[in-house]
Parts: sequence; C-alpha cells; structure tokens
Amino acid sequence: MPRQTTFAKPGEIAPSWHLVDADGQVLGRLATRIAVVLMGKHRPEYTPHVDCGDFVIVTNAKGIVLTGRKSEQKHRTHYTGYPGGLRSESYGSLIERQPERVITDAVRRMLPKNRLGRQMLSKLKVYSGNDHPHHAQQPTPLS
Amino acid sequence: MPRARKGAARNKARRRILRSARGYWGTKSRHKQQAKVALTRAGQFAYRDRRARRREFRRLWITRITAACRMRGTRYSRFINGLQNSGIALNRKMLSELAIEDPKSFDRLVEMAEEKTTAQAFAR
Repeated sequence: MPRQTTFAKPGEIAPSWHLVDADGQVLGRLATRIAVVLMGKHRPEYTPHVDCGDFVIVTNAKGIVLTGRKSEQKHRTHYTGYPGGLRSESYGSLIERQPERVITDAVRRMLPKNRLGRQMLSKLKVYSGNDHPHHAQQPTPLS
Repeated sequence: MPRARKGAARNKARRRILRSARGYWGTKSRHKQQAKVALTRAGQFAYRDRRARRREFRRLWITRITAACRMRGTRYSRFINGLQNSGIALNRKMLSELAIEDPKSFDRLVEMAEEKTTAQAFAR
C-alpha cells in the first residue's frame, strides 16, 4: 500500500455515459442523483480538484414532476436591467416552455460554483423528447 | 562608545525579508513593508492549514469510502458500524486506498461488515 493518498490525474479516468428517463421523476430527487455522477462522487477514485465525473443524458425532460403546489408557487425570476424590469415565471409554465432549463438549473445549483463546476455541467445533456443524439456513446442506464 | 548607525543592519534585514518573499505577487516580493505583511499572513495560513489538512483528508477518504460502499449496495455509516462491531481496526485512509487498489478485498470487507452491522438496512 502506498503511504500517500492516491489522486486521479486529469484524463486518467475515462468517463462513461449514463442515460436517465426523467418521465415521472421528481425534480430534486433526480437532480441529486445526476449531480453525484457529474461530480464523480460515485467512484472511489473521486478527486476534488479533478473533473472525474461521467456524462449524463436526460430524456423526456417535459415529464419531470414537481410535488405539492410548486408548479404554481415556485417562480424563476430574473432582472432585465431596466427600471421595473423584474420578470417572473412560474415553474409550471417554465416546464411547458423550456423543460430542459428546469433540470439544468436544478443540477447546476447542486454543483460547485467555480470553473470546475461549469466544466462538470457541460457533461449534462438534457432533451425534452424521448430521443437523443448520443447513441454512438452507448449510454447505460443510470443506477 | 562610538555611535552605531542603522544602515548596514537595515539593509541586511530588508534583504532577509525580500529573500523569503520570493515569487510573491507584485509589490509583495519587492517592497520590504508589503513583503513583511505578506510573510506574516503566509505563516498564519500555513499554521492553520497544517491542521485543516488533516480534517480535509479525512473528509476525502470518507467521501471515497461512501462511493465504494454505495457501489456495493450499502452505505458508509452501516459499513463503519459493521467494521467496528467485528473489531476490524483499518483506518479510513487505508480503507479508501483498498477501495481503489484492491476492490476484491473491499468486497470482502463489506461482506464482513454486513454480517456484524447493527445499523438499519438501506432505505431505498
């Protein structure tokens, strides 16, 4: 056994691809599972300063479920920069308009807020429909 | 008693400070006063982080053991509880290294821990 703790080097861990069907899944419950895989915390070689996560493909984003009254009560707000320009949209209508965005945002907020976190987020591919263009990567179902 | 002047001693002190502040950013490696402040702070950080390092590494080992446990359908607290009950005294560093270098032995450890564990089964 080595005396020193092992650290994975960048590129040393070959990332694999995972596929999840979001239909009927609860938003936060799904997002935590995705975030763990994107960060690489699902493998024993996890190294905090290296991106050792896998790719995740999410299909059927439009089937994502919010519990309780969150689709009416939970809002996404942003400020346009103009006076009185605070816009707000309920999650219910956001899911209809941009379901990919809902999942991406939920996962993004669970990842580290730094350069590495942004790199990890780029490995998340979300599609509102049933199909995805990553068949060549031979994704396996996310456990 | 002849009057001693500061000149030589002052230059020597300045050289000593700037030498140990080599490689610092901007004036911190060039001006005596800035270098002095930077060195004091550097020393404080070094002292604090020698202690923080131990905690950070323990956290990392625990994260890795958690990952290895979850791959095998158990979880960290249940695994550690089982090891403790069966009197296995491997520390977290070695457990995490085993999980990477020798997954077979880790499989066996999980089995042994599962036999003796008093923690509740996996909820999911």
